[in-house]
This record gives sequence, C-alpha cells and structure tokens, in this order.
Amino acid sequence: MLLPKFEFYEPASIQEAIELKQKYGPDAKLLAGGTDLLVHLKKKRITADHIISLMRIKDLVQIKMDEACVEIGACVTMAQLSNSQIIQEKFNALKAGADNLGNHLIRNRATIGGNVCNASPAGDTLPALMVYQAQIILQGPTGRRKMPIESFFQGPGKVDMNADELLVGLQLAIPSGNCGAHYIQLGKRKSSEINVVNVASFVQIDPGDQTIITARIALGSVAPTPIRSFYAEDALNNKTASESLFYEAGEIARQKDCKPINDFRGTAEYRKAMIGVLTKRTLAEAFRQAQIR
Amino acid sequence: MKRIISVSINNEIHELAVEPNKTLADLLRYDLGLTGTKKGCDTGDCGACTVILNGDAVNSCLVLAVQTDGATVETIEGLSNGDGLHPIQAAFVEHGAIQCGFCSPGMIMSAKNILDKHQNPSDQEIRQGISGNLCRCTGYQKIFKAISSQCSDTNPGNNYGGLHEKI
Amino acid sequence: MKKFDVISSRASRIDSPDKATGKAVFVDDICMPGMLFGALLQSPHAHAKIISIDTSKAEKLNGVKAVITSKEAGNIKYGVSPARYDETIFAIDKVRYVGDEIAAVAAVSLDIAQQAVRLIQVEYELLPAVFTVEDAMKEGAPQLHENFAGNLSAEVHQEFGNVEEGLKQSDIVKTTMMKSKRQDGAFIEMQGCIAEYDNRNILTLTSSTQVPHYVQRTIAMVLGLDIGKVRVKKPYVGAGFGIKAAANPMELACCVLAMQTKKPVKMNYTREQVFMYGRARHQFSHKITTGAKKDGTIMALKHECYLDGGAYTSFGIATVYYTGSLLGGPYKLKNMSYDGYRVYNNKPACGAQRGHGAVIARACFEQQLDMIAEEIGMDPLTLRIKNMMNTGDTTCNDLNMSSFGMSECIEAVRKGSGWDKKKGNLPKGKGIGMACGFFVSGAGYPIYRSDTFHGTVIVKLTEDGGTALVYTASAEIGQGSDTAFAMIAAETLGIPLENVRLASGDTDMGVDLGAYSSRQTLMTGHATKEAAEHAKQQVLEVIANQLDIPVQNIDVKKGFIEFADPVPDFSNLRTRYIKEHRGWTDNPDFEKLTFKEASRIAFLEKGSIVGTGKYKPHSLGGKFKGAAVGTSPAYGCSAQVAEVTVDMETGQVSIDHITDAHDCGKAINMTSVEGQMEGSVSMGIGEAMHEEVIFDDKGCVLNNDLAEYKMVTSMDMPTVNAIVVESDEPNGPYGAKEVGEGAIMPTIPAILNAIYDAAGVRMFELPLTPERVYHAIQAYKEKLSA
Repeated sequence: MLLPKFEFYEPASIQEAIELKQKYGPDAKLLAGGTDLLVHLKKKRITADHIISLMRIKDLVQIKMDEACVEIGACVTMAQLSNSQIIQEKFNALKAGADNLGNHLIRNRATIGGNVCNASPAGDTLPALMVYQAQIILQGPTGRRKMPIESFFQGPGKVDMNADELLVGLQLAIPSGNCGAHYIQLGKRKSSEINVVNVASFVQIDPGDQTIITARIALGSVAPTPIRSFYAEDALNNKTASESLFYEAGEIARQKDCKPINDFRGTAEYRKAMIGVLTKRTLAEAFRQAQIR
Repeated sequence: MKRIISVSINNEIHELAVEPNKTLADLLRYDLGLTGTKKGCDTGDCGACTVILNGDAVNSCLVLAVQTDGATVETIEGLSNGDGLHPIQAAFVEHGAIQCGFCSPGMIMSAKNILDKHQNPSDQEIRQGISGNLCRCTGYQKIFKAISSQCSDTNPGNNYGGLHEKI
Repeated sequence: MKKFDVISSRASRIDSPDKATGKAVFVDDICMPGMLFGALLQSPHAHAKIISIDTSKAEKLNGVKAVITSKEAGNIKYGVSPARYDETIFAIDKVRYVGDEIAAVAAVSLDIAQQAVRLIQVEYELLPAVFTVEDAMKEGAPQLHENFAGNLSAEVHQEFGNVEEGLKQSDIVKTTMMKSKRQDGAFIEMQGCIAEYDNRNILTLTSSTQVPHYVQRTIAMVLGLDIGKVRVKKPYVGAGFGIKAAANPMELACCVLAMQTKKPVKMNYTREQVFMYGRARHQFSHKITTGAKKDGTIMALKHECYLDGGAYTSFGIATVYYTGSLLGGPYKLKNMSYDGYRVYNNKPACGAQRGHGAVIARACFEQQLDMIAEEIGMDPLTLRIKNMMNTGDTTCNDLNMSSFGMSECIEAVRKGSGWDKKKGNLPKGKGIGMACGFFVSGAGYPIYRSDTFHGTVIVKLTEDGGTALVYTASAEIGQGSDTAFAMIAAETLGIPLENVRLASGDTDMGVDLGAYSSRQTLMTGHATKEAAEHAKQQVLEVIANQLDIPVQNIDVKKGFIEFADPVPDFSNLRTRYIKEHRGWTDNPDFEKLTFKEASRIAFLEKGSIVGTGKYKPHSLGGKFKGAAVGTSPAYGCSAQVAEVTVDMETGQVSIDHITDAHDCGKAINMTSVEGQMEGSVSMGIGEAMHEEVIFDDKGCVLNNDLAEYKMVTSMDMPTVNAIVVESDEPNGPYGAKEVGEGAIMPTIPAILNAIYDAAGVRMFELPLTPERVYHAIQAYKEKLSA
C-alpha cells in the first residue's frame, strides 16, 4: 500500500512544531509513533499534505517527576512506560494498559500522546489515565494550559484542542498510600486486539476501618469516549468494601453508566454484561492493593 | 521533495535521498536490495517487516525512511556476518522453527531483540517478545524452543515439553 | 538397529538456512530490468451490469504502457474443475462480487498504475444482490449465473446402505446443527506474480502458487497459447493452505499485460485484495442426525449441508462432495446419506482450505459422538475405539484404509494428556475433550479428467559423479516437500543428504499436480523413489558389468558401494577415476569404493545417468456419482485432546494444552511432521475461537486486515504435545502418507467437547467468541434455575 505524497518536517522544539502547525493548518497531521496515522493514510481513510513529526523533540520523550507529580511527555512510548520504574511502582493500571496495547512491535513505537489524541473509546491507556485523574498539558502560541482528561475527549477521534495547539504531556499526581488501581481489557484473542470492553478502577481506603474513601472507575468501549462511572462511584464512597459491594457497583456501572453500541466486535448487551464483570474485578484487585500499600 | 538521510544499516552508513512517503520497509527492499525484510500486510499487523531500529524491534512498514536519519537499523542480512549463521538463526534451523520462511526474518529479528534485552527470558517474555510476529505455519512451538535454547542458562520454569532435549 | 540412513530423522531442512538469513527469494523480492508494475480495477459493487468501460484517460497517463479489459484478455471460461468453468479473467457483462476484476494496467511504477486504474471509467447498472444462502435460494432472487437456477452452484445426493432402516434400529438418535463462518487462509505472503514474454513468444510466469501445473494449463487454455510455450515456476512461497491451489485472475491478467507490453510485469495482491479474492474456506451449515445402539454401535448417519459459496465455483464443486464423503470414516458405518447444496451469492468465491470441506462436518459429528457417549454413560474414547475401523477396512462409500493407526493415536493422546486421571475430575471451569479425524493422502483423481501421471520426477547424477540432482515440478510451500524428496532420493540412492541437490516447482521439470489434498509426500515421494532407484540401478549395472559380478550383489549405503562377499577387486575402477583427477587433493582412498567413483564410471560408460520416476494411484473408488471425491491411495488419521479453561463470567476460553497424535505412515522427516501437526492445531484453534470473515450489508469485507481477522498469535497458542504415530502405509514410499490436512480435523471438536466438560454448554455455532460462549452459559444458567 502506498502512502500519499506529503512534505515532511521534524521540528526540534515544541515552539517550532506549533509554528508549523499554524502555518499548514488542517492539511497538516502530527506524527508520533505512526502506528495509527500511517495506517489511516495507507488505507486512504485520511489525507495529509504535510506531516510534522514530533519524535525529535527532546522535551516530549521524557518522563519527569517531583515529589507530588509525574509528567509524561506526549511522545513517550508504551515500551518506555512499561519499563519506567515510577510507572511500575505508582501507576500499575497505566502500566497494564501500556503492556497490553497492540503487540510488542507496536509498543516500541506507539506513544501515549498518540493514544490520547486518537481518542478511541477503546484506547488502552485511557481508562487508567482517567482514574489517575491525569491532566492534559496543551501548548499553543499563547502558552501552556491544562485540563482534566475527561474534558479532553469529545467523541470518537475528537478532542478539545485548538488547531494551533499540541498535546505536550500528561501530568499525574502520584497516589498516596492506601491506594490501589487495576485495569483489565477484554478482546477475542490475547494480542494485537482492539478492545471489546476495558475498565480501570482506582480505590483509596481508610487504613483503619477499610472503608472506601475514594473510588474512581473508568469504562472504555461503551460510549463515544471513555467515561467515568459516576453512579457506581457514588455507590462506593464511604462504604465498607466487600465482594457484594463490588458486584453492586458493577451492576450500577452496567445499568446506569454505560451506553454501548452494537458493532462487528461485539453487541451492546455483551459489552454491558462485561462492564459489570470487569468493574467488579478491577475494584476487587484495586482494593486488595490498597490494603497492602 | 526528497530529503537526504544518513542511516546506519547493518553497520554500514548509507547516505540516501528519499521521498518522505517512502517507508523504511520499501527503502530496504526496493532501493537497497535488502529483500530479507518481508511485507505481509503493510499495515503493522503481521510483523514480517520487523527490523531493529535504535535497539528496538519495530514494524518497518510503519516507519518513514526519512525518520531514520542518524538512526541505527539492523536487518536480517546483518545477522550472519560472513562467519556462518548467527546462533539464533542456527537455532531456528536446528529446531525446525522455519516452514514457509516468510515470517522468519521478522521473527528472528524479534527473537534477537528479546535476547538483546533479556539474558534469560521467561516463557511469558518469549511469547510477549514475538507477540507482533504472526506465523501461520508453525503454531509457534518450535519457535519458542529455538528462542529458549539461546537463553544464557536453562530455565526450569519454561514449559515447552522436552524443550532442552538435544534433538 | 536403525533401518534407515536418511529418512526417519530430524535432518535440518535444506531450505532453512536461506530462509533464516533472508536469502530465500519470494516473488516480490524479484526485480527485473525494464519491469513494469500491474494494478487491477475491481468492482466496488456486489452485483451490477457493466454498461460501458472507458479506458481512454488511463491510457493517456504518462508512464502507462498497457490497459486491458476483456477485449484484450478474451472471454474463455475457466475455473478449477472443467465441470464448472464459470469465470472469465475480466468481467464481461456483469460483476458478481465486490472485487470482481474488470481491467488491469501496466505502468512504470505501482503508483502510476494505481492512478491509471482510478482513471478508468465504468458505467454500472446496479442489480439487487444477495449475501446469504437463504436469500440466494429464495423464489425470485437475483440469479448470478444464467445456467444455475436457484443460484445452486452444485447439488449432491448420496445414500449408502439404508439410513432410514439404520435409524429405526438405533436406540438413540441425535440431531444437531453446526454453523460456521467463512475463513481466510491468512498466509503471511500475499499472492504475487511476474510474467515475462520473450522474443520467441514464450510466456514465463513466476508466481506464488501451490500448483504450477494447473496454472500452466489454465493460462494456455484461457489465452489460447501452445502449452509448450508456457512455463510456470515458483520461487519460495509463503504458504498457501489451498487458497493458492488454483490460477487467479491476477496471474492471468499479468500474462496478458506481459504479452501486450513485451516487458516483465509484476503484480501483487495487497492484504485487502487477498480478502477480496477469497477462495478460502466455505461457510457451512450442517445438520447431522446420528443413530446409535445403546451399546455404542453407530448405526446410521444422515447429513445435510448448505455451503455458502460466493460468486463463483472455484474448488466448490469438490468441496461440496468432500463435506459428505469424509464422514464415511474413521468409524464403521454401513448407512450414510448426504445431501449437499453449494449456493452462489454476491460475495467473494470460496474454495479449498486445509481439510477441504470436511473440517466443520467433523466438528459437528465428533461433538455429537460425545453427546451420544454421555447419554449412554460411555467414556468418549471408549465409544470411538469401539466403532473404529480396522486396517484394511473400506467405508460404505468405498474409501479404503490401507493403513490405519487410529487406535494407536487414541491411546497416545489418552496417555499423553493424562485423560484417565483428568476426565471427570477437573474443577468447574476447566475441561478436557477429545476428537478424531482423518483426511486423504492425495486426491485419487486429478482435477481435470485425465490419465495423466500425478507426478513425475527426474533424478540425474552429475557427470563427475557423486551428486544427485532431483528435478520435480512439485511445490514447496513451507510444508517441507523439497527436503522430503531430497531425503527420499538420498535414502533410495544410498547416499548422504548433503550430496543431493533439488530444484522444484517448475513446469519444465515434469508434471506434478502440486501441493493440495495433502498429496505430495505420498505421490511425488513415490515418483522420487522410483527415479532414484532407476538412476541407482543404471550405476550398479555398469559396476556389475565392469567387475563381472551379479548386480544383485551390489548396493549403495551411506555413499559407499556395498558388495556381497566375496568383495571383488575394484582397484582398476579407482585407478581410472584417479587418472582423470590428476592434481586433485581429495581423491578417494577409502577402503570401500565410493558412489562418487561408481557413478563417474557409469557416466564414462553410458553417458549421463538419468533416472525417471512417475506415480499414478491405482483405480480408486466406487461407481456412483462423485465417487472420485474422497478417494485416495491412503488416509492420514489423528486424535487430539484439548484442555481448556472457561471464564464462566466473561465467556473467554483459554486453550491450555493440546495433545495431538497423528498417523503419518512413516515420518520422512520427524521435525517436519511435528511442524505440520503443530501448525494445523494453530489453524484449528484460530478457526474454532476467533477467525471469521465479516461482511457489511453491501458485500464488502469489514475485517480485511490481519488485525481484525484474528489468527492465533504467540500469546494465544497453547503448549502442544505432538506425538507421531507410524502405521507403515503399504501404498506410501517407505510407508509415508499425509500429515498436512488430517491434523486439523480433530481440533475444533476436541475444543467443543472440552468446553462442554468445563462449562456444561454445547456450542453449535463457530467461532467460539467470548460473547457466544457467554450467551450459551447464560442460557444454561437460566435453564438450570428454571
């Protein structure tokens, strides 16, 4: 399959990239790992006269941290995330998403910025980013701004970003003690899958009486964007953890929070049923982790 | 408009003028005569085009040649350097891990990358390390055995049934 | 004491080092001076009349060298079987599926060829389309082909014995259905070819094909060429699995483009086009009724099947017969009936894929046997052993089991899997299941009615002596046939494998029907053995004559001449050899005379030593309609045990382990046999669990890439214990028979039976996606609580 003809740019700085994006407008596409963009171009789903690669911008390929936060550059790959000590230690649900995206070859190229901007409802890292309350960092000609990740997703493939802005990174607050998180994705086979359903849960407990102080649940593949399961979360706050509580939360997530469709990967009915199961399971595991941390 | 790139391929520097829309796979196969790297889908789904780029196994059909300026690329042709087969290649041959051979160059490059990164890969690490390389002929069994045979020491945790018998 | 010197070993394949180093050449690796690139125009509509085709804009594009339609390509009909020649290279008056070929362009680059294709203007008149068997068979449905009313591509009705009577005598009668989906071969190398037409009007096609011979004949017939001026050869081929076992329109179009431009033309399918072309496994809808006595004796089998065949017949005329005929074994069965219907519709044509027509039927039937076993309280293995045919038995439809290691296979998987300990003792969610299967070792008859030999082989000894050159038109497609024939030649000649060179896949080398129906090891193997014997005999006769001893007293072993006692004085032969090699530093000084010296002497006496071999099976099968399909000189058979874990909440099934035993008669190369077994299992698992070709409501393939068409990855594949059984097939060279297709037969039903063991649910529709299994579990739970 041939790629269409385009001009290619490799800016060395974020500023340069912004200027190029401004200059070429909607005829320009940003290239990170290329595992989505180049496929779409080959299959003639989109066109591009100009391609701006972000991969040489040093600021974008780093994971920085201080005591409170981690900042993941937009061009950090899945493999880098999986191998990062801080991600392994403090953000295991995100690592799970990164570990399971596509396959090992894709993971060496696919970036977190790409996964986020692609805004697929089934995106592998998105539910975890949501339950970790990631902040999107955008940079434009007028400077940087942040927004919570939930607000960023507007629909399949649609994000809330100005035409002259770049997503430069994600900021995640490092979870304190007594927290746990887990992510499960479900497909038909065990590699190279686009998820039928995927769920992440985050739980913070009171170490004394083990009640749930905070619960955050994010559901993928059951709405036009990944979504928080607010009804289910409400049902968990300040409650004592138990198997039946997690089951109940799953039922609420299934019945009230998600709005899946039928497509050739799965029916709405099945997706709903799996939301129930995966919510229950991710909560149980997140709770178990919270107990030991 | 073509761009000049300077890329190291199998330890040889190539200075080339390439169109931006040329993939690394096509550059290797059609411009440099390095046809060992194969194309089984051209959309990053099969891994037949696997090369090692800056130390990581990647689908060369999803890398633009222009992105490889200053990069190091290892292809299947670079493995055996005139002294006979690389041990991984010899292991694939010995263990019967090759049937039609079309996935083999990509598979072997992924195998090499596993062993570049893990001296003693576990069962799971081997499976993960070729998860992007599809093989329709072998059922992967003898591929697992071939890769495992190259571990720095025998790992009793591996579960390939007769894995370490000398065939 | 070892019986064989070369075969029955784990010799490394002769082509592996080239494949491991990337040196092995596949068709897209080939570049020729002045080569043009071809591209196809294919229909975007599932069913439409072609009103007009305007190629003028395309012809004017700079860099375009030829644009062809049916005007240039002609309208000679072809297909796979002469009984159903229903295709033309390009659509003439109408298109019948999305992908139906209309035109082709040759240009100086692929980019320009594709641009030119987009400039060809076609006026269509859309016709109503049908996409299912049901819709295609309805009254008033749009007809795809004039001569086939009701869109029935083929219809089969067979009865052996008396099924009604058999069912009457049965204590249990079970009727179940099994519905499958279209599959794809999903070989990693897409089809591709290069056509050349030289100054003597000789057309050479290099193609990624399994069947150079059939492609050669099709080209000659369709293009009206003298077949002596048509040569088809294959480089290394990245597998085929049956899909590449027929000439495709791209190959034919490529030939026409080469003839028009007088330049080499290369064409490839993209992965998308592979899905558009199809010619892979049909979609089956089976209804099987089996009657058995309460002691487990199988009394009768009534089988009805509808095959969703797509727009053309392709292999389908044979498929519809195989579907029925291959249930005639491996169990004793006197009464069997089969009603098969292959239906046309406006989707890509279906053809032959590994196991050809019998895989889903086997899945349905083997699951039913388990249901019967459960009802009468018999262990499923025991039920099968009880009914198993014996070596030498013939089925009710005249298939003869000249060798039959099925009981050994069953015992091997019983032991190998720990069946006795596990069955009935696994925790909920874990299950164990088994099944059996068998397949032909080469179709008994060629696809076109003919007295032709099925395979001819030439073994030529190098004039300098010592090396054997094997020439065979057979097709190495990854199954290891080149190595198998080199090993057979070496074994027969009595020389080491390293002294054999082999070239294959070229119609100039002889006739070989190619790699399909699992025929090459047995059939081409026989021809190889005969050719090697013939060559050896010529050498031994010269030596016998020179030394004045009876020829029966001489043999060749491990590269040396073995004389019966008393060993004659051969020193004059050696002296003669050495005299001709003055200055050489490695002249033979062994105690024994070498084959190298002997074959050199033979050349000096006789000229080039060429041995020829040929093979044709004896007359097989009964006299009823369709009797030919299913016949074979031998049958390979297998038993498999699958162990699974079912997640009862999500429906996800993990295949944990497969124990597989296959009777291949005699393993020419043990590693190759295991490789085919393991590969078959992986394809069987994919087809059981997550492979299906999905269409939208306009007849377009939705999942036309290897991300959404889900074959087994390294993460999905269980561990496999492959056990080779050898029953010594009398009709096979050194006792060898097939393994390439028989080994896929038991996989799907073993998994079905294991899932029942784990979760208590019977599945009647494939693939067994998590969602499908989940729904079955839910229905079962509801039934229990009701």
